[in-house]
Amino acid sequence: MNKEQIPKAFAELREILGDRATTSTVHRMAYSRDWSPRYREMDDLPDIVVIPNDTQEMVRITKVAYRHEVPLIPFAGGTGMGGGAVAWRGGIMVETKGLNRILEIDEHNMTAAVQSGITIEVLNRELARHKLWLPHQPESKRACTIGASIGCDNDSTFGIRYGKIRDCLLNAVIVTGRAEAIRVGQRKASFSSTGYKLLDLLVASEGTLGTITEATLRVVPLPDVREIRGYVCRRLNDTASGLERLLGSGLAIESAHANCRNRLHFYTHSYREKYGREPQFPEWADAILFLSFAGDKDIVDFNVERATRIMVDEFNAEPVAEQELVEGWWDSKHRLEFIPFKQKWPDSQRQKKFGAADLGLPIGRLEEGYRHYLEIAKKWDQEILGMTIYNESPNMATASISFAVFVDDSSQDRIRQFYQYVREMSEMAIQLDGTMSTYIGDGDRLGGFNQLEHGPGLKYMRRIKRAFDPKNIMNPGKKFQSRWIESPEG
Amino acid sequence: MKGKGLKEYAEDIYTCNRTRCGFCREECPVYHAKLYETYSCRGKMLVGRGLIEETLRPSSEMAEILDRCLLCGLCQARCALHNLDIIASMRSEMVHGGVSTPVHRENVEKILREGYLLEPKAVPEREGKIPLYVGCVYRSKPRELARALTVLERFDIHPLIGEEICCGYIAEATGFREEFEALQERFRKTYRQLGASEILTLCPTCTATLKEKYGLPVKHAIVAVAERLRENRRRAKSLGFRATYHDPCHLGRMSGVFEEPREILRQLDIQLVEMERNRYFSTCCGGGGGVNAVDPDLSVEIAKNRVRDAIDVGVDIITTVCPTCEPTLLRAAGRLAGEVNTFVDVQSLWDLLDKALE
Repeated sequence: MNKEQIPKAFAELREILGDRATTSTVHRMAYSRDWSPRYREMDDLPDIVVIPNDTQEMVRITKVAYRHEVPLIPFAGGTGMGGGAVAWRGGIMVETKGLNRILEIDEHNMTAAVQSGITIEVLNRELARHKLWLPHQPESKRACTIGASIGCDNDSTFGIRYGKIRDCLLNAVIVTGRAEAIRVGQRKASFSSTGYKLLDLLVASEGTLGTITEATLRVVPLPDVREIRGYVCRRLNDTASGLERLLGSGLAIESAHANCRNRLHFYTHSYREKYGREPQFPEWADAILFLSFAGDKDIVDFNVERATRIMVDEFNAEPVAEQELVEGWWDSKHRLEFIPFKQKWPDSQRQKKFGAADLGLPIGRLEEGYRHYLEIAKKWDQEILGMTIYNESPNMATASISFAVFVDDSSQDRIRQFYQYVREMSEMAIQLDGTMSTYIGDGDRLGGFNQLEHGPGLKYMRRIKRAFDPKNIMNPGKKFQSRWIESPEG
Repeated sequence: MKGKGLKEYAEDIYTCNRTRCGFCREECPVYHAKLYETYSCRGKMLVGRGLIEETLRPSSEMAEILDRCLLCGLCQARCALHNLDIIASMRSEMVHGGVSTPVHRENVEKILREGYLLEPKAVPEREGKIPLYVGCVYRSKPRELARALTVLERFDIHPLIGEEICCGYIAEATGFREEFEALQERFRKTYRQLGASEILTLCPTCTATLKEKYGLPVKHAIVAVAERLRENRRRAKSLGFRATYHDPCHLGRMSGVFEEPREILRQLDIQLVEMERNRYFSTCCGGGGGVNAVDPDLSVEIAKNRVRDAIDVGVDIITTVCPTCEPTLLRAAGRLAGEVNTFVDVQSLWDLLDKALE
């Protein structure tokens, strides 16, 4: 980017947006990070921050960026873990929270049309007045927006019943790198066999094709009752086979999360801290499976009873007796209703940062993946937090896995060590017939290195990028280059 | 009590920078109005890091942004860190950097010079037994004060009111720490006798300040009234209308007084309809943290959003018990009426009690 263009671009943006465009260092500093691991002093300052209020303003902003060849980086919740929302190469940071309106709630067709900067929590608060909800629910939903969910293809707590954002997405408006606003998708229909599926391209595009400004989503009725249960299992594989069996039996499972023994110890530690007593887990406990069931009370009761019987009789599992532990886990996963002023960070997070490799593995290779995780984390001197398996496809056991570690962010070298851990874990995923990322995305970490996963396909991805963004102004660098991990060619 | 310097909060600031949950952001009334991340607590924590590492220096622009914080504490209710103390420390950095907003300095100098922030008007003398700290705002509002005193006396609560000096909250809140220390010193000398027994207060902000900064055994007078009503000492007549209750930040979130005002409203046979954001997660009226002094338009915008909360639950009367919240909300209700064609009245709980006890 030619830095000389910045003042000219800014003058034009001021004309369009007035106070909603700034070059203030103070404001720019507030946009210098997302949630990705980086060393303590590191920051990436954009040159300009803008707040558009609608698609037309976004088109005008993009025209300015196009004319002056200045990067545009969409920013939403700022909770991404991949460095996708940082201005690695400077440019114009687009604060999408100005796009925060609900355009339509169509109860008859069960759809909601929104601007992309509305948070999932705010949208759901509004939908609840209509006894509806959007079941795409990442843990970051308080800050995470619809646009960010589409752009990052993040995880959803209720994936095993409703899938991820793509499963709810009917159409979207994107302002491409050519400064054209196009609506892609199938209006309010759920599918379409016409044309190419451009809507699919938007999912996980991380702002590299354009800025998403609007979306129409399929929503569903709010359930009356929800029950959460936990089961300790003898083997990690039992959580996946147990889940497959439960689904095969015809039970309706709303959410399913399996955790390794390290995570199990983490929960028992939290329980001990909070209640001052030891949970009664059997010696053999090696994994824990949390399930939720939702709907009418009698149906939910039946599901809970039958699921418990199958897990106990067929997999020698044991229901978690301490329901407070299960509810506490659910608080951290979904409700996010902590006691005011009593929230506490574990000491470990005051010193270190949460980081993860977010691999997808075939469900038969969980234990293999877990063994490699222990070895690779040790090799790169990463403190193990544990492994959580998310299930993100409707009605099937899948494995979107967070292999989490506590990252020492005290120096650049230590951060590089973390990314070496991510690199080797990603290689392992490919060797096990899996994928490098299932909910974080490429960001500024896997780009270029992801050729290992996509092979010649990456060349076609570059061509797609050029079709949408010929001047490479849309979040440049992301997806195709990494600042942390060398590409296979070096 | 001397406030800690910003560097002493480095661990908190770095913890926020590396965590970035954003729980503080969406509900922040200032962020909601302004939309730049910088106005949220999370954004300020990155600016705080810049100050600690000296990549950023205090500037009038930074002071302007920090001045827009209401210090309402909503972010801290969602957080494990010391957000309010950190923001006050950042404001203190602005004072030391010589870039703080002139109106704040003028206010603090006035308190140092005259002992109060607002001009006191004819404060009624009372020689009862229970010390009552009236506070600058009520001292400047004789009608409202007289009404509160009438209510207290009807409950056989006979206050002792004497000369007063300001608790100094605004000095602490706007970052004038040395000046606040001087005010504290003077306050302690003036009230050497206080602390032995319970002190009643009328202003939520003074309540929180006297408790937190001076360690005094304070009780907001509305709590004393609720206790008397509970003991059935005085019958109140039914007022019989629908209303909502707005929790003042310093009385509710900061001092934990949530149920007593609601109990009173029920005793007055008022059908209480809760706004979606209430109790710990109530949102500020827009008058907190000195914002009204530097940006009255922002203050009104935030207050209008709070009035909209009442409209959303279908009530047209907001009751509250704070001499800052009442006029701030009422002013916004008047402005909003022209926009949405609905006027929401704002009534003091003292006024309602006065009517019910006539």
